Amino acid sequence: MRVRVIAGAAIAAIVLLLPLVAGPFLRYLVLNMLLLALLALSFNLLFGMTGLLSFGQGAYYAGGAYAAALLLRAGVPMLWSILLGALAAAALAAVLGAFCVRHTRIYFSMLTLAFGMLVYAVVWKWTDVTGGDDGLIGIPRGRLGLPGPLDFSLDSPVRYYLFAAILVLISMAILHRLSASPLGLALQAIRENAERAEFSGIRVRRTIYIAFVTAGLFAGLSGALLAPLEQTVSPSTAHWTKSAEPVMATLIGGPFSFLGPIVGAVVYLGLKEIIVRFTEYWLLVFGLVLLATVLTFRSGLVGAAADLIARKRRA
Amino acid sequence: MAPRRGTTRRRFLQTTALAAAGLAAPKAFSAAAPDLKLKKPIKIGCQTILSGPLGGYGEFMRKGATLAMEQINAAGGIGGSPVEMNFRDEELKVDVGVKNARYFVDDWGADFLIGIDSSAVALAVGEIMPTLNKVLIVTHGATEKYNEDLVYKRHVRQCFRVCVPVYQDGIASALVAKDLPVKRWATISPDYEYGHTSWKMFRAYLKRFKPDVEFVGESFAKFGTVDFSSHISKVMGLNPEGIFSTEWGGEAVTMVKQAKLFKVFENTKAFMIGMGSAMDVLQGLGADYPDGTWASGRYYFGYPDTPENKKFVADFRKRFDTYPSYPSETAYTAVYALKKAVEKAKSIETEKVIEALEGMELDRPAGKCVIRKEDHQAVYAVPWGQIKHDPKFPMPILTNLKVFSTDEYYRKPPFAPVEG
Amino acid sequence: MLFQGLVGLSEAMYLWLVAAGLSLIFGVMRVLNFAHGSLYMLGAYFAWVAFRISGSFWVALLAGPLLVGAAGWAMEFGFLRRVYSAPEAFQLLLTFAFVLILDDAVKLVFGPVYQSPPTPAALSGAVLIGRSILPTYHLFILGVGALVGLGLWLFLEKTSFGLVIRATAADREMARALGVRSSRLFTWVFVLGAILAGLGGALSMPVRAISPGMGEFIIIEAFVVVVLGGLGSLRGAFLGSVLIGLLHAYGLLFMPVFELALGYMAMALVLIVRPWGLFGVREG
Repeated sequence: MRVRVIAGAAIAAIVLLLPLVAGPFLRYLVLNMLLLALLALSFNLLFGMTGLLSFGQGAYYAGGAYAAALLLRAGVPMLWSILLGALAAAALAAVLGAFCVRHTRIYFSMLTLAFGMLVYAVVWKWTDVTGGDDGLIGIPRGRLGLPGPLDFSLDSPVRYYLFAAILVLISMAILHRLSASPLGLALQAIRENAERAEFSGIRVRRTIYIAFVTAGLFAGLSGALLAPLEQTVSPSTAHWTKSAEPVMATLIGGPFSFLGPIVGAVVYLGLKEIIVRFTEYWLLVFGLVLLATVLTFRSGLVGAAADLIARKRRA
Repeated sequence: MAPRRGTTRRRFLQTTALAAAGLAAPKAFSAAAPDLKLKKPIKIGCQTILSGPLGGYGEFMRKGATLAMEQINAAGGIGGSPVEMNFRDEELKVDVGVKNARYFVDDWGADFLIGIDSSAVALAVGEIMPTLNKVLIVTHGATEKYNEDLVYKRHVRQCFRVCVPVYQDGIASALVAKDLPVKRWATISPDYEYGHTSWKMFRAYLKRFKPDVEFVGESFAKFGTVDFSSHISKVMGLNPEGIFSTEWGGEAVTMVKQAKLFKVFENTKAFMIGMGSAMDVLQGLGADYPDGTWASGRYYFGYPDTPENKKFVADFRKRFDTYPSYPSETAYTAVYALKKAVEKAKSIETEKVIEALEGMELDRPAGKCVIRKEDHQAVYAVPWGQIKHDPKFPMPILTNLKVFSTDEYYRKPPFAPVEG
Repeated sequence: MLFQGLVGLSEAMYLWLVAAGLSLIFGVMRVLNFAHGSLYMLGAYFAWVAFRISGSFWVALLAGPLLVGAAGWAMEFGFLRRVYSAPEAFQLLLTFAFVLILDDAVKLVFGPVYQSPPTPAALSGAVLIGRSILPTYHLFILGVGALVGLGLWLFLEKTSFGLVIRATAADREMARALGVRSSRLFTWVFVLGAILAGLGGALSMPVRAISPGMGEFIIIEAFVVVVLGGLGSLRGAFLGSVLIGLLHAYGLLFMPVFELALGYMAMALVLIVRPWGLFGVREG
């Protein structure tokens, strides 16, 4: 337990102190890593915990992004825009999740994929609201939205970085608590054996539904934080290729531990950024990494590291 | 016709190939570069679509920019400083485009940015230019929102554009169409903002010139369409006399091939393709490009018939073993425009370069051009022409060129909204 | 009006070829092959290369799919079979890894720019149907699609190998208990599926531009089709393709605004109301 607290504090410190040492691009990259980590954690709430592979988290990511963007453009202060954006995404997840959680395995995945692409299609065509394929641009950063002296302007990139990073870290803490809570344990029980879980009194479908909506909430939060970062939101946020990112990140980092998706997100984006400087063929490298992970490191980098540590301890 | 493989994203420094090719800068752009004691090297970041069905554009753009860079460096650089370029794939995605722009400026240290094919990416990157505060010269993205909204209305002064925008596809086309014996028009165009806007402009302007014209049908194909059959049969079922299209790249090639199978060309009096004179489309279709098809672009290698243009084409062919496409010329011009502006301003400071670029006159391969002060849009004439197969050339060419005065089709401030 | 449907049907045939393989593989092996669209793409490229070397469209049509069959064999034998015992998610992810690898491999070998092979002269004509013109090539495709459908049906119903496939698809445990060597069966089924996808790609080569990443568009459409028809059902794959083709063609006429969304709406609807599709088997 203490290890976890230290690890958490270390991560928080690195993230928050980064602007002191890093240039604008590194800061930007790290923020993107944080957002992807949050998205991956939301994905893994379903996958790592219940074994359900959602190929459509993009729907909620985009939902949060567009909702926040529209609110910011209407002048709503930052904090409220972000939170309301996340809630909007959760609402969407509540509606779509009602259908998704009735299925398992392949059917669940296919349905999440279909819904994700439906959101994409709606966003693409509903030009009046979403700006269509041009997207929403000119999203202002504005003020924080807390009363009185706390109402900072978030226009500077450093301030926005800190704001977003703090929100992400808080979310990670919440998700971490969630995984150890009765809900989290119930989810794990479902993954092990859904029938047995049902018999022992866990209402399987309802539990999965709650997890689904929670995942949608945090995916939406990640998307909402994206809007003021780029000051542009486009339909690609809902496309299945975006939904595939948290999947890959989680798999690389390892779906069976809390840290896995976080490590995976860092490695995924970091690797991509490095590879792209040397070759255009980063998909190839990625595909190979993914292949290696699936074939050998089934539990991802974190899992492999954990195994290694365990082995060293035994020796 | 296969593109040269092995071109990577490595920084392009002065190459010995240049010495071997013996290229010299064109007269209009050169003048021995005095050493202005500027930063060395001067870095230009270029992003363009380098992959997928529209990847031909990026390849040609990269070549054009590279040629300019090599010529400039051979002549001593910009104000005595060598030019270094870095190319990235924009993937036609907004988030990738923005990330590339940030990478170029914040990480790689770019002094200037050029490129961009997708209108959406141009708008999104334009949005962050005030933050990055470097000059951006767009070389292909054609939405009118870029110059009319971003620069003119919202004063994002870092943004410039050296390629003719949608006016060429939507308005100049109407100028051609009004003289054609076609009363019933239909369209097969891409299903995004650009496709809709260009069709809307075409309809609005053509109706003004020829009030008895009818628009009988439209079919918009989603991005990634590989089979236009249903679109073609839908549109042909409405008996149009003319087809208008702003499909581009590989999608234009597929559409024309399939339209040919459906005997569309034999059953209509005119077929207009806004970006149909791009070299990759000409090469891609080859003998399959029906004679008489109307096509245009952002530059055509055969116009104007000036020594500067001839030299550009000859230099390009010698260096890359292919005729230049229009993104090649626009990228080439962008680099040279930066050279001229920096040397005029004697500085690479963004504000000074902006001032130098505003109102600047350029003698580019495409002809004489002025960069308007109000909206930072380069104004120059590009022809519409008809496809013809000429044994002297390895690909189909344009003939019967129609060139209009830019006054007739470039929209002017204060940019009234387009009706229709 | 009917003509629009005919055009939609011919478009559906490419989809049918890809969906057939996808369904077959899923039915027998319970693997959803994300890389099936990439096999289609390989078919187009291999056929193009064969065409350039031999100068004959027919040689290309034969060589392309066979080469893809070989690629499929390598994929299954070398990689896929190692994850049969893993959870389904990992199998899906392995095939997804191949999508990434193959997309870039093709780009590496052929360049990122699209290629556009010429249409064979013999098939460039057109026929008059009512007052509308249908290219000969589209009729050819319809013919090939129908033939493949017939051929597959005969194969499954009348041959012993087909019987083994059907038995395994129906009840894998039982089939194994009865002595079916599943590992060899799986390889053959995967190869067959790959050949079908490759054939689809080879057929598309003369009339469409080919480029890296072209598989990504068709695999999503193929997913829609097999969900509609029922995962594992060939009949479902055929009818699903037809349905999507018609939906697309008529959708353009009546509800063009929904063109992008139609397939996904159908897919979501089927999954919600009848997840095992029109012809699939309800899983226990």
